[in-house]
Amino acid sequence: MAVERRHVGKDAFSVTEPDVRGVAGFLAGWASVFAGLALTARRATSGTPKTLRYPFVKLTLSPRWRGALRLRGALGRDEIPIVRGPSPQYNSVIQGLLDVERLAPCTGNCPANVDARGQNYLIADDQAAEAYELVRERNTMPGVLGRICHHPCEAACRRNYYDEPIAIRPLHRFAYEAYKAVRGERVKPLPVTRTETIAIVGSGPSGLTAALDLMRLGYAVTVYEKDDKPGGALYTGVPAYRLPRDVLHGEIDDLVRMGMTLNLGVKVGEELPLEHLIGEFDAVLLATGLQVSRILPIPGADASGVRGALEFLREANFHHEADVRGKRVFVVGGGNVAVDVARCALRVGATEVRLASLEGMDEMPAHPWEIEEALDEGVIATCSVGPEEVLVEDGTVVGMRMRECLSVFDETGRFAPKYGEGLTDFACDVVVFSIGQAAVLSDVVAGTEVELDQRGNVVVDGTLFTTTASGVFASGEVVTGPGSCIMSIATGHEAATSIHRFLTGVPLGKDRTARPVPVYERYEKAHIEGVEKDRLRVVMPMAHPEERRVDFRSVELGMTHLESVVEAARCLRCQSEVCVGCTFCARTCPDYAIKVERVDDPGSRCLTRYELDLTKCCFCGLCAEQCPTDALAHTGQYELSFYHRDLAVFDKGEMLRDPTPTRATGRDGIYPPPCPLPKRGERP
Amino acid sequence: MSETASWTGLALGAAGGLGAGLVIALAALFGVWWERKVSARIQMRFGPQQAGPFGLLQTLSDTVKLVLKEDILPARADRGPFLRAPLLVFVPIATSLLAVPLVTGWAPLDSSVGALFFLAVPSVSVIGILVGGWSSGNTYATLGGLRGASQMIAYEVPRSLSVLSVVVLAGSMRPVVMMGEWRWWWIPLLAVAFVVYLISSIAEMNRGPFDMPEAESELVAGYFADYSGIRWAIFMMSEYGSIVAASLFGAAVFLGGTHGLPGVWGLLVLIVEAILIITIIMWVKWTFPRFRSDQLMSLAWKVLTPMALLQLVVVGVVTAWL
Repeated sequence: MAVERRHVGKDAFSVTEPDVRGVAGFLAGWASVFAGLALTARRATSGTPKTLRYPFVKLTLSPRWRGALRLRGALGRDEIPIVRGPSPQYNSVIQGLLDVERLAPCTGNCPANVDARGQNYLIADDQAAEAYELVRERNTMPGVLGRICHHPCEAACRRNYYDEPIAIRPLHRFAYEAYKAVRGERVKPLPVTRTETIAIVGSGPSGLTAALDLMRLGYAVTVYEKDDKPGGALYTGVPAYRLPRDVLHGEIDDLVRMGMTLNLGVKVGEELPLEHLIGEFDAVLLATGLQVSRILPIPGADASGVRGALEFLREANFHHEADVRGKRVFVVGGGNVAVDVARCALRVGATEVRLASLEGMDEMPAHPWEIEEALDEGVIATCSVGPEEVLVEDGTVVGMRMRECLSVFDETGRFAPKYGEGLTDFACDVVVFSIGQAAVLSDVVAGTEVELDQRGNVVVDGTLFTTTASGVFASGEVVTGPGSCIMSIATGHEAATSIHRFLTGVPLGKDRTARPVPVYERYEKAHIEGVEKDRLRVVMPMAHPEERRVDFRSVELGMTHLESVVEAARCLRCQSEVCVGCTFCARTCPDYAIKVERVDDPGSRCLTRYELDLTKCCFCGLCAEQCPTDALAHTGQYELSFYHRDLAVFDKGEMLRDPTPTRATGRDGIYPPPCPLPKRGERP
Repeated sequence: MSETASWTGLALGAAGGLGAGLVIALAALFGVWWERKVSARIQMRFGPQQAGPFGLLQTLSDTVKLVLKEDILPARADRGPFLRAPLLVFVPIATSLLAVPLVTGWAPLDSSVGALFFLAVPSVSVIGILVGGWSSGNTYATLGGLRGASQMIAYEVPRSLSVLSVVVLAGSMRPVVMMGEWRWWWIPLLAVAFVVYLISSIAEMNRGPFDMPEAESELVAGYFADYSGIRWAIFMMSEYGSIVAASLFGAAVFLGGTHGLPGVWGLLVLIVEAILIITIIMWVKWTFPRFRSDQLMSLAWKVLTPMALLQLVVVGVVTAWL
């Protein structure tokens, strides 16, 4: 009776039966039954149970025991990290934060990586001027951007998920208003510590950004502007009802007071050849932007009454008169410039303004809030139509014939409009084409080594911002094409870094960290019905549409001091590891085990109460999972939490107590190591 | 039968039923606690410790909880049968308990076909299991009920055959006589019959390792998956009731029962022997993994039935010698 016994453990063995048949198999089967019974009998009778006798046996808990959850930091006890760094190293600072998941979404989603979280933190503490200076580190003109930025930060704001995003852009504006009072004593000339000089052609956002970065590094910077006032497209293109000129020129004046030499009314290429600048300065930055509007070559496009968007905006902005008084204006295009044209046309006296876009209402490239404001003011939007012909009588525009557009983009997402058969005629007196802008640089670069491509754009390296000529760089919309102001500012920073490397002899691309472009989850608009009013975003007061459509006064009226501080205090300080008492953990908790209270007085903001009741806790971990700041962390001691009944409720002090590290728990005393969750952005 | 006699009979029946129900309830209270202790020791744990000394009152607190729990009636359940099925399972098992001789020379139901009564009556609970499973309106429960029925019917055969050996040896089907005729040498002689009786009893009461009808990991809880609260507790009590009945009967006819001791002393000896058998039943459950359905059937027909028949032959030969 050969019974093969395979040892499968210290006490256990198995008897393989299929090979043993007949009487032998029968007996072997019974033998294994009794062997098994003997095994369990031995277990039951010998030795003591290995579990703990509860509650008669008191656990001797290690001093590093600390319950199921802990707080890494708390408002009032810990400062939140302010993201700062010299411009050439700023990208690596951001990349470093991103690598350890400590980059706030607002900062990560901003092309210039403005530390909006730090701004909100300072404003909530009533340090708006300091907030302004923090923002200006990356965003050269916070006051301007506080008016016109398309705020990608707010799109990524974690608060979208809970109720409404923080009003980061209006807070820029508030910080500017506060800074205005103290700018006289705060703005100081920056010391020139280096001998190299730099010329910047164009005083738009990207040129001024590069200028400020380079002045901070100790260079002497000279800016050339062809108009008689600085600001570039911000001055000529952006209407005053969105950007009051005193804000723009006030901030540029600050730059001048910091040491920037500003030469106005100098047309580089005509009065002053670029060649001359290249010879005189150690480096030259072309930040000229896009100066002319494109006009579609359709029949009738040469008639009187057909205008380009930029020319129209110039007239409207400078003279508040664009020869449309009492006329019907037809704007072709669906971008932000087209919306500006339409709204300006109303303000300079047009009787009827029609905005015709190729795209549908939902796909229009203009920002939805701008379209909404335009519609409020009385602009008529006609969507999904493409220009067919300008109807002309005696050389003058009398109307516009539009063809219906079936789709704008093909399957691969490329721009390839498909047209249908339907034609519609619109009567109008003026047609403004706002279908894109182009650079005119042939005059500027004449006689230099700077090459242009067939379309007239500068040949430029997209990451280093170098042109074909050594020592000549380009930035802004010349490089990126029509884009946003904050994007131009971002390219200004990069170009300044390249110029600095070029002048200090460091290879331009060596060990250079590219600006990280993290992908953030797009949240559905949160349901805010029933949400407490003090949790919602402060509403920016707007002038009444009937009132604002007739002049160029500011549309957004600005928030009060109190509103701004309250709004800044809503910020969740994402990824800062400092609890701000947002109460979302308590709201998430299915067992009401968490109590959170805080004090929001500026200057003495603090978390006054944080209590975790372990008798209610079901250890689901949702609170830590959703914590926007990552301040709430698991300790990995769930099982033990049940035993330590002396400490059923963990108060703030206990939650914040630093864990004692041991060899097993590692640096921060957390064991086991964090779950290998997919990184943010990788989640499906 | 006269009217008075029928009334007396009814009253006696009611008293018997009440007594049996009480015994089963007490036995279940003790049995659940004992099972938790046994399984805990086998798994090197302590088991219940908090309620009462050695956690003795744990089951009582569980009972209170069960009684207070909501009695859920699934929406798709067949109301009438669903509500009555637990009793249909419980009553036959409680009734079978009456045939067990508890005191020397006395059984609550002292019948000349007592052994047959004891083997046959609990089989009726198969119907209860089928009804409970089917009326839940739940596939898992129905499957559990079907499995339970086929298993219980299959194991009737070896179980009856194993008891038949004792009947032959004792020359009577009256349990009181079977217990009285017991001699010590029956133990080695009837060892095989006892093992067969034990195994088929375990299968009969749907306990591990033969608990496919319940099969928690596959069928949730088998035929009582949809039961809750007190109705579930009745199913549970029936299971412990059948353990107690099988153990008491086994102790009485295989281990000598009261050993002729008078009154309470005999009863105590019987109870100790029964507890021994109960412990073995629990020991088996916590030692072996669950059988597969085909293994279960082949064990019944290919192993246990031949063994019981062989035992019968041996007993027959021995009886001729006596």
